[in-house]
Amino acid sequence: MSVLEVSGGISKPIAPGPKPAASPGRAALRQYLYSLSGIAGAVILLLLVAMTLFGPLIYHVDPLDIVAAPFTPPGSDALLGTDYLGRDVLAGIVYGGKATLTVGAIAALITIVIGVTVGTISGYFGGAADTALVKVIEFFQILPPLLFAMVLVTLFGQTLTTITIAIGAVSWPSAARLTRAEFLRLRGLDYVKSSRAAGATDRHVMLRVILPNALPPIIIAATLAIGVAILFESGLSFLGLGDPNTMSWGLMIGQNRNYVLDGWWTVVFPGTAIFLAVLAISLVGDGFNDAINPRLRRRI
Amino acid sequence: MNSLLHLLRQVMNGIGLLFAVIVLNFFMIHLAPGDPVQVIAGEMGGASAEVVAALREKYGLNDSLIHQLMTYLSKVATGDFGYSYYYNEPVLNLIFSRLPATVYLAVTSLILAVVIGTLLGTVSARRPNGLLSQLVTVVSLVGYSAPIFWTGLMLLLLFGSIWPIMPVSGMANVVDQKAGFAYVIDVAHHLILPSVTLAIVFMAQYSRLARVNMIDVLSSDYIRTARAKGLPERTVIGKHALRNTLIPIVTIVGLQFGNLFAGAILVETVFSWPGLGRLVFESILRRDYPTLLAVLFFSALLVMVANIITDFVYRMIDPRIQARVG
Repeated sequence: MSVLEVSGGISKPIAPGPKPAASPGRAALRQYLYSLSGIAGAVILLLLVAMTLFGPLIYHVDPLDIVAAPFTPPGSDALLGTDYLGRDVLAGIVYGGKATLTVGAIAALITIVIGVTVGTISGYFGGAADTALVKVIEFFQILPPLLFAMVLVTLFGQTLTTITIAIGAVSWPSAARLTRAEFLRLRGLDYVKSSRAAGATDRHVMLRVILPNALPPIIIAATLAIGVAILFESGLSFLGLGDPNTMSWGLMIGQNRNYVLDGWWTVVFPGTAIFLAVLAISLVGDGFNDAINPRLRRRI
Repeated sequence: MNSLLHLLRQVMNGIGLLFAVIVLNFFMIHLAPGDPVQVIAGEMGGASAEVVAALREKYGLNDSLIHQLMTYLSKVATGDFGYSYYYNEPVLNLIFSRLPATVYLAVTSLILAVVIGTLLGTVSARRPNGLLSQLVTVVSLVGYSAPIFWTGLMLLLLFGSIWPIMPVSGMANVVDQKAGFAYVIDVAHHLILPSVTLAIVFMAQYSRLARVNMIDVLSSDYIRTARAKGLPERTVIGKHALRNTLIPIVTIVGLQFGNLFAGAILVETVFSWPGLGRLVFESILRRDYPTLLAVLFFSALLVMVANIITDFVYRMIDPRIQARVG
């Protein structure tokens, strides 16, 4: 309720009588807009996405072309300098974002789809299915995710598809645990029992009754999963496991890392791009958290 | 007695999981595109059909998959993880020679992260809206968002070039070799940058976690009681509150052991630290599959042992857990 009061404080006179309650989505959006860091994150993220989408239309330098002498410092010849081969660093950043951000988003989607499916089945049905799936989760959790992803990409080929699937395939266990915990918590509640008593099918109870209520923490986890996937993609590219034919921020750092003392700009700028992307996404995640988590709502 | 039984159950469970890792390794090699015999033939500069057939026979590739799996399992059971053609050494020797460097790095970073993280979190929790508290929030966000290999390169640039006070690569001075205590100091000096780099990510998370928990704990009844008894603030925080703040941190440390290991791979690559991570990087470059898969197995083993130790420490800190299970 406090949300409505605060929002009314702008200048609207408070009408007497019962007010129509704002829809939960609207209330959450309003709450999100109160979080400064959430807005900052969204703005940075939009700018980065805009740069990757529209940058190549404006900036016509091929990131793989040699445009000037190697290690030309930032200046008139090349705005952000050139790398060890004489390639334009700014072009690398503008064109390299596509691979990094796309892999991050799709890998996070895979993570959440697998995680939510496993967690839903495990938490809803319990019993033998749960025992078996928890074993599978435990199994994946003793394999260091980044190392496992490296092994998968080394064995199955360095293409963007393999990289995306590998990141999704190693990251889902925490999403599964989270979903499972939510289902375990919710399935004993009265409104779930009553819908079951009313003759709802398992499918209906799972997807229509419990899942919507389990969504808030899952949405936050999904946001953070994008950040983690971006870090994984950059780590793989840094180690030389990225797609060799596609420019990406991690690849730029990996290729220039031995020359960091000769030309700081070759490593500082692409790293800043990755840093900003992950930072923006975690700020957006925090903003969602503030918006969705009712315990925090009263703080404002 | 109960905790001994619990430990035994955990070890059995762990052995089961490790067995599954070995089976996974086996199937990954078999599902991967490319036939090992073709690779060998390629390196020989081409081979006739008879030689290829002989090689297939020699490596048991004509046997059934189950038979091959059994052969693989029995080899692993005797500690035979294959042979690295690049290093010309059995994989097991290779791993044992690289393990200590990684353990130094990981343990140093972990101690740094837990001690400094908890300290920062605890101090900032006393004034949840103070300057230090805000700083912890910002630093933890930055530490979490910057790719670890990039943080490493930035520190390398800062302390290797702009203000050159740190060695930037390797584990000890090769040109001017030290002996005895001077060698220990030399290694410690080389360890600073890599371990700080690796610690930053985890420090970020622990300080945030410690802060949240400490704020929670400080508002609880028993802390009010301790203060009402007239105990000095130092005792209240250091003895009463800290113990409960540490519980979630210990849990997270145990869960993140795999991440710590993966972080070490990237950090070792940046600083040419001669550990398992460096070995992983090199075996990726050389497509040295036996080494790569053996490292995956041993890292799973490390994570599992770490989990069991965590569980043990957890029970020591929080006697309630034992009562609950027992």
